[in-house]
Amino acid sequence: MKFRLLQFSKAFALIFILFACTENDPEIPLGEFDSGILIMNEGSFGSNDGEVYHLNSTTDELKANIFEEANARPFAGLLQDMVLENDRLYLVANTGKVEVVNPGDFTSLGSVTADLDQPRSLTVNSGKLFISDYGPYDASYATPESYIAVVNNTLGGEVSTKIAVSRKPEDLISYGKYVLVAGSEEGKVEVIDAEKSELIETIEVEGSPSRFFEADGKIYLFSPNGDELILYSFHLDNFTLATTTHYPISNATGKFAIDENGVMYILTSSGWPDYQDGIALLDIFGSAIDPTWYEGSGFYGIGYDPVLDEIYVTNSNGFQGNGTVTVLDEDGVEKRSFEVGRGPSGFMFR
Amino acid sequence: MILLVWFMSTFGFQTEGLDTLSLKEVEVIAPAYQRFGQGQKAIAWTSKDIQEFNSRTLSDLLQETSPISVRQYGPGMLSSPSFRGTSAGHTALFWNGLPINSPSLGQSDLSLIPILAIDQADLQFGSSGALIGNESIGGSIQLRSNAKFSQKPQLLFSQEFGSFGTYNTRIKAGFSTEKLAFQTKAYRLFTQNNYRFEDLSKSGTPTVEQDHGRVNQYGIVQDLSWKIKENQLLNSSFWFNKANREIQSPMGSNTRDLQEDESWKWSLDYEIFRQKSAWLFKTGLVKDHLIFNGSLSKTRQLFLGAEWDYSTETKWKFHAGTRFSFIKGDLSTYSATDQRIEFFESIQFQANEKLIFSFNGRHLVYLDVFKPLIPSLGLDWKIKENEAHTLTFKASGSMGFKVPTLNDRFWEPGGNPDLLPEESWNAESGLHWQFKKIEQSLTGYWMDVDNWIIWLPNGSIWSPQNIRKVRSEGIEYQGKAKFQTGKILWTPNWQYSFNRAVSLQGISEIDPSLGKQLPYTPQHQATMRIGGKLNSFSISLAGDYTGKRSVTADNPRTMDPFTLWNTSLSYEGFSIGKIKIPMQFRIQNLFDTNYQVLYLRPMPGRSYHFNLSIQL
Repeated sequence: MKFRLLQFSKAFALIFILFACTENDPEIPLGEFDSGILIMNEGSFGSNDGEVYHLNSTTDELKANIFEEANARPFAGLLQDMVLENDRLYLVANTGKVEVVNPGDFTSLGSVTADLDQPRSLTVNSGKLFISDYGPYDASYATPESYIAVVNNTLGGEVSTKIAVSRKPEDLISYGKYVLVAGSEEGKVEVIDAEKSELIETIEVEGSPSRFFEADGKIYLFSPNGDELILYSFHLDNFTLATTTHYPISNATGKFAIDENGVMYILTSSGWPDYQDGIALLDIFGSAIDPTWYEGSGFYGIGYDPVLDEIYVTNSNGFQGNGTVTVLDEDGVEKRSFEVGRGPSGFMFR
Repeated sequence: MILLVWFMSTFGFQTEGLDTLSLKEVEVIAPAYQRFGQGQKAIAWTSKDIQEFNSRTLSDLLQETSPISVRQYGPGMLSSPSFRGTSAGHTALFWNGLPINSPSLGQSDLSLIPILAIDQADLQFGSSGALIGNESIGGSIQLRSNAKFSQKPQLLFSQEFGSFGTYNTRIKAGFSTEKLAFQTKAYRLFTQNNYRFEDLSKSGTPTVEQDHGRVNQYGIVQDLSWKIKENQLLNSSFWFNKANREIQSPMGSNTRDLQEDESWKWSLDYEIFRQKSAWLFKTGLVKDHLIFNGSLSKTRQLFLGAEWDYSTETKWKFHAGTRFSFIKGDLSTYSATDQRIEFFESIQFQANEKLIFSFNGRHLVYLDVFKPLIPSLGLDWKIKENEAHTLTFKASGSMGFKVPTLNDRFWEPGGNPDLLPEESWNAESGLHWQFKKIEQSLTGYWMDVDNWIIWLPNGSIWSPQNIRKVRSEGIEYQGKAKFQTGKILWTPNWQYSFNRAVSLQGISEIDPSLGKQLPYTPQHQATMRIGGKLNSFSISLAGDYTGKRSVTADNPRTMDPFTLWNTSLSYEGFSIGKIKIPMQFRIQNLFDTNYQVLYLRPMPGRSYHFNLSIQL
């Protein structure tokens, strides 16, 4: 799931222009899912039962399986990421496909269903889709043939080319005509010229780069590194490292939410065998840091509601059935919880 | 138990009437599970019963003719049994008395067992840890070879052609004298599996062709029986099976997995019959290789055992024995060994001609765990018996257990060496009524399974825990008949089962699965089959109904019920000289039903099969 502040800015600008210049034009009605909260449910391995739920923030009505409802067929995949770009919502399934839907009503607009192995995320640039993909497993369950798949149509279609990158690429972000790739296993940020569909630069970093985010007009990289968390920022004119900041937050997963003031809520997990999950708090523009802000187990996804200033944390319930969402206030006090789909892993607040 | 053996040996009970199967002047002791399984539901299939499935697999036989739910990932793909709502790992599978479930996975793939490779199959329902042993919580399947003495030399070549690129070849040869019997079987089952299905994962749900489901399976079985002396018999069987499979992915996945399974099985039984008692010495080896996308997993199991039977003249029968199992696993993430010693005993008391009681016990040691007693009790009571009617009442109470698999205990990372064995308590009772040529039975059961192992995520690592407690209860009704209209002999059979298997204990107190039906466990199942025979012609029509199933433990998504119909026409009257040429035409999924056994796993539509045999 992506939060694109730059794109939000464009959207706000567009809304402003529309209101300013088209006073007498009919308003484009918002779709049912253009507001509220989209809940991404990954699904369970082998079952391909990933789906999206929608929570109407006004009425508290929860709608299940909105992809299946809109398209009269199941999503049929493990939902890895949801990316909203250019008023199209891309549902990335790590089982080998990308569905493109209208974000207002979830009707299908297109898809990429062939020549993908384990897609992780996506960005749109230069009229193309760039899809990060682990590539196939080898006999040792390694992924030496990871790539970025390029599709020459933002509504999907065939993969036109694959750009080889370091093992296990995760998040992607667009800047101008460039695409930055978070190479999680080898500690690299790779830069692709989107127009030429070529890899032009590689930046070595520490840790496991997992996600990019934008704050204060900069692009940051979130890179957990065992006992510490590293945030990088970049010079975007020559693609070199600008800042490197180490934080004493251990066992960070690649999942976090960030509020409008730069306060991050980071999922942590001690993993096997001393299994303990938690949420760490980090103010990247201030001094606040709390590695054990909230503790529990079974956490699988996190989100931040900028309207009500609430933190949404999910529990997979061991993938035995549906998961649950627990809503916390900014002091970590539980406000409510409700059942959602299988393996809830992220949110999109609209 | 040792005391019991000593006691009976010392005082030398004189017995008569060990239950035996007559095999041309040679006595073969019927397996203990048949003789001491009073009160428990069982189904026994002879070679003739399963003949129609000779070009197919155990998965098809169970799905179409038994109350067992078979969870199939696609035609020729992984197929696992579920007795009475329990999981695949709660079914013990034996071949010639050897447990052949994979020790690393704790289950077997029924698609890898061609019916041709076996001569007899028995099903026991319910927990039977005492009589059967490890893993028989929901039930057990017994497969046996049977080379016969004093038979004419036999040679059979059979070729089947079917839809979706199916070519099955079978060869069976037998030779025997009064003292020696050989039987050799070889087979190759090949299917391209290129059936068409509606791909629900794609826009417009186009009909596409399955392009990654090829199965190429072949093997050889060699059975030998040697009557060493009038009272000594040696049976040995060897079975090699190999399968190369393209693993079908669920709709929406692009995986192109390849799996290769190789197994070698060998059994050796030495039986000594005395006037009042009998000894059976048993050994065997089971070696499995599984190569998944190039990653090799190897397991080996060696068994050594001895069993002793003794009967008094009228009322008492005794059975006692021991088995030592040596198990070794070399998998991609770990190597481990396990040794098990089991002692078991059975006592049967026949109070009168109508009433029989039995008690069975088993004692198990594995690694540092000791299970002092796994018991069972049962009775058969013939309430009424005359020329027209036989009405029998059955009742039993039993316990089952399952030692955690090698993967459960040793998988790196995540294996949990502290796991407890899964345990079950089972009670059932039933009526069996025979009226002339109609037989019907009704069984009701209740079972609790505790310490049910499930794998749960600990961050990114999954680890097994003794979490779930399940209650399974239900009824099973079955019947069969035989009647004639004109010259046509009809043999219908039918069955219906109701099962309610729910979680009593889950991953938390608010686990939404509590009180709900277990996933992929239909509450209602039924089969119907009618066969007709006129001279050399045979015809059959069979239907099996599978009720609604849920995909997950908390039941938010359910799958539609489905009914499949199959029909066949056989002719056995054609011959050239002494060469018989039987042939069969078969249609599976007669009404082209669109169905899935497991969510998003497409199954084939209607298919046609023609089978031609040459029999000397």
